[in-house]
Amino acid sequence: MGFLITTLIFVVVGIIASLCVRICCNRGPSTNLLHLTLVITATVCCWMMWAIVYIAQMNPLIVPILSETE
Amino acid sequence: MAESHGGGGGCCPPMDLMRSEPMQLVQVIVPMESAHLTVSYLGDLGLVQFKDLNSEKSPFQRTYAAQIKRCGEMARKIRFFKEQMSKAGVTPKETLDRENDIDLDDVEVKLEELEAELVEINANNDKLQRSYNELVEYKLVLEKAGEFFASTHRSATAQQSEIETEQVGEDLLEAPLLQEEKSVDPTKQVKLGFLTGLVPREKSMVFERILFRATRGNIFIRQSVIEESVVDPNSGEKAEKNVFVVFYSGERAKSKILKICEAFGANRYPFSEDLGKQAQMMTEVSGRLSELKTTIGAGLDQRNILLETIGDKFEQWNLKIRKEKAIYHTLNMLSLDVTKKCLVGEGWSPVFAATEIQDALHRAAVDSNSQVGSIFQVLRTKEMPPTFFRTNKFTTAFQEIVDAYGVAKYQEANPSVFTIVTFPFLFAVMFGDWGHGICLLLATMYLILREKKLSSQKLGDIMEMAFGGRYVIFMMSLFSIYTGLIYNEFFSIPYPLFASSAYDCRDVSCSEATTIGLIKTRDTYPFGVDPVWHGTRSELPFLNSLKMKMSILIGVAQMNLGIIMSFFNAKFFKSAVNIWFQFVPQMIFLNCLFGYLSVLIIIKWCTGSQADLYHVMIYMFLSPMDDLGENQLFPNQKIVQLTFLFLALVSVPWMLLPKPFILKKQHEARHQGLSYAQLDETDESLQVETNGGGHGHEEFEFSEIFVHQLIHTIEFVLGAVSNTASYLRLWALSLAHSELSSVFYEKVLLMAWGFNNVFIWIVGILVFIFATVGVLLVMETLSAFLHALRLHWVEYQNKFYEGDGYKFAPFTFTLVGNEDE
Repeated sequence: MGFLITTLIFVVVGIIASLCVRICCNRGPSTNLLHLTLVITATVCCWMMWAIVYIAQMNPLIVPILSETE
Repeated sequence: MAESHGGGGGCCPPMDLMRSEPMQLVQVIVPMESAHLTVSYLGDLGLVQFKDLNSEKSPFQRTYAAQIKRCGEMARKIRFFKEQMSKAGVTPKETLDRENDIDLDDVEVKLEELEAELVEINANNDKLQRSYNELVEYKLVLEKAGEFFASTHRSATAQQSEIETEQVGEDLLEAPLLQEEKSVDPTKQVKLGFLTGLVPREKSMVFERILFRATRGNIFIRQSVIEESVVDPNSGEKAEKNVFVVFYSGERAKSKILKICEAFGANRYPFSEDLGKQAQMMTEVSGRLSELKTTIGAGLDQRNILLETIGDKFEQWNLKIRKEKAIYHTLNMLSLDVTKKCLVGEGWSPVFAATEIQDALHRAAVDSNSQVGSIFQVLRTKEMPPTFFRTNKFTTAFQEIVDAYGVAKYQEANPSVFTIVTFPFLFAVMFGDWGHGICLLLATMYLILREKKLSSQKLGDIMEMAFGGRYVIFMMSLFSIYTGLIYNEFFSIPYPLFASSAYDCRDVSCSEATTIGLIKTRDTYPFGVDPVWHGTRSELPFLNSLKMKMSILIGVAQMNLGIIMSFFNAKFFKSAVNIWFQFVPQMIFLNCLFGYLSVLIIIKWCTGSQADLYHVMIYMFLSPMDDLGENQLFPNQKIVQLTFLFLALVSVPWMLLPKPFILKKQHEARHQGLSYAQLDETDESLQVETNGGGHGHEEFEFSEIFVHQLIHTIEFVLGAVSNTASYLRLWALSLAHSELSSVFYEKVLLMAWGFNNVFIWIVGILVFIFATVGVLLVMETLSAFLHALRLHWVEYQNKFYEGDGYKFAPFTFTLVGNEDE
């Protein structure tokens, strides 16, 4: 559940970012396509990293064992 | 491998920066009188790369060799001025106005005048300085020798009076020899001559000895040390010297002594015994010294004024001369038409610049008042054009990073499109700490905000590189903040920023926290690594496993992206053989093995199974028919694995064998009926194609193609394993970074805090800051930068990049201004 919601958040952020970029620097179709590609790539990279770390912690095989001093 | 150029898109809409700008070979015919102006305007435009049509001629045979020699002469004079100015400490005035109104001939005349004047002034100054130094030496000689003579005079007179008193009442037998000597009539004594001068101190002992030997001991020499060092008139440098006085008898001795003095570089000065004359000489010399001093001062002032006037115009002249030299070099590349009335030039230029170039030609023709206009036409050629990307200040740095490895072949896909995002991202995966990321961001914001000011200054080498890469570092820092939040490290301290930790004690007493550990009671920590992990005993096993798997997943993703780029290339160049017999088997091979591994990782994470993935992958190859037992992650896994193994094995000969045969068939089909080829009526380049570029019989060595394909296949297959493993450096560097950061925090800051002493605390903070900046912010940044770069250059680009093009280097004056001669 949390995974899906946050994935949706990433998608929404990506869409908003590409809209912002389109609004503030609109310079012809080929340049716009480049900007869109960059934004999508960045969103996908960020999402992928978050997703990997999240999924790895969903069903942990190792649990934290506190150290003696604490 | 000859593939048809200019395949022209069709598959996808055009994207900026993805492929090189379309370039064309243009031919320009200019009349002689407007040639200079034309080249000058084209240089201002900066969009034409001229081909050297006179490459067989030596530099002296070219048309404008004389002009270049002229420019070379003027450049030499300018360099001479610069030297003189820097010696005198005059800095040339910075001028940013680019006026083209100054005429080269005027400049030449002016430079000659100024040089003659400057050389004269310098010569005069040197002469005056030399006389001054000689006089200084002379004065020293007068002083020291004068002292010597005065003292010996005194002692001589003292002795004389002593002997006289002795002579009066003494026994004749007691000192017979002495009496005999003293009874000699003074007038019959042999007259001693003497020489005075200065000799360098290190040679003084040798000097004495040689004099002694040469004159067989018949000289008397007396030396006196001068405390301060004296400027030697011949060499102009300071040297330690001694004043010497040599007494000799006879002409032969004198000539010998003179020769020896010359050999030792000992300067001699006349000296008279008479006390009165000595005093006179002293006053004269002192007077002349002060006179010379003022004269020299005046001379230097005059020279400085001259240098200042030069300094005013220096930059302008410098620029103009460089410009002219560049123009003449370019003019030398144009070939002279048979009628000697016009010059023909060929060059590469982007298609979009055609109108601008024609405009410039027209303006030049008008401005030079020529009757005939220039002709501009496009040539058809099979040569490979240079690669040109239009970059802005943001994308330039990324393009340079890619170009450093190899310039893209004309119109192949440009890796820098995705590198703009993936390079800072991979850097951040290795750097991940949002505290350090913020420091990096602040540093680079300073560079970006002071962009305008810093770009006009001359920065040092390292600053220049950092400034040039400011946008790269900016992206790197933004992504670092993001990955820092994910790794949950702020100078190695985690914070529960998004929710509370998911882990809790098993029971209220929390007795097993240090033996068996906590358990997961709440929902997974929503963003990033749970903050409870830092400092626990099982932190490293957990994080290592996480980061290694993450590296594999990211690596497989980037390599897939690389193979997909090769698909786009094949689509663009309309090469179906590359799609079906290279792209498809490569995708199948990589994904059946490492894509499958990635899927297994995700399944293991999602289900929480305890399967050993190493075991699964290795035994998939070693004994694929075995039962999986407890390593089973999903039903029918054995069948799936067998299928994938089979597909991977099949894809290897699929990559290797068909392509060479198909290429051979294609080549034969192309040249089937070409024994009688019709002559093309199109304009061809003036340069004869020496390399078998395209016309006539193409060479097709089947064995070469086959070996090439074999190498390609082996590289890909072996590379699949090694490249995937190479991505583990993402894990390695991120581990190193977090460990270093945690050591600095715990062992420096916390330890200093434990002492409860303000002084130690301050020292601790300083050490912490220096260690963080020096090791983590500088060294780790460079290290992660380097490794991210390597991952891009090798693991990503070798999936699709050929990189054997050459860069478009237009003739432009903006570079001329920045050259250092």
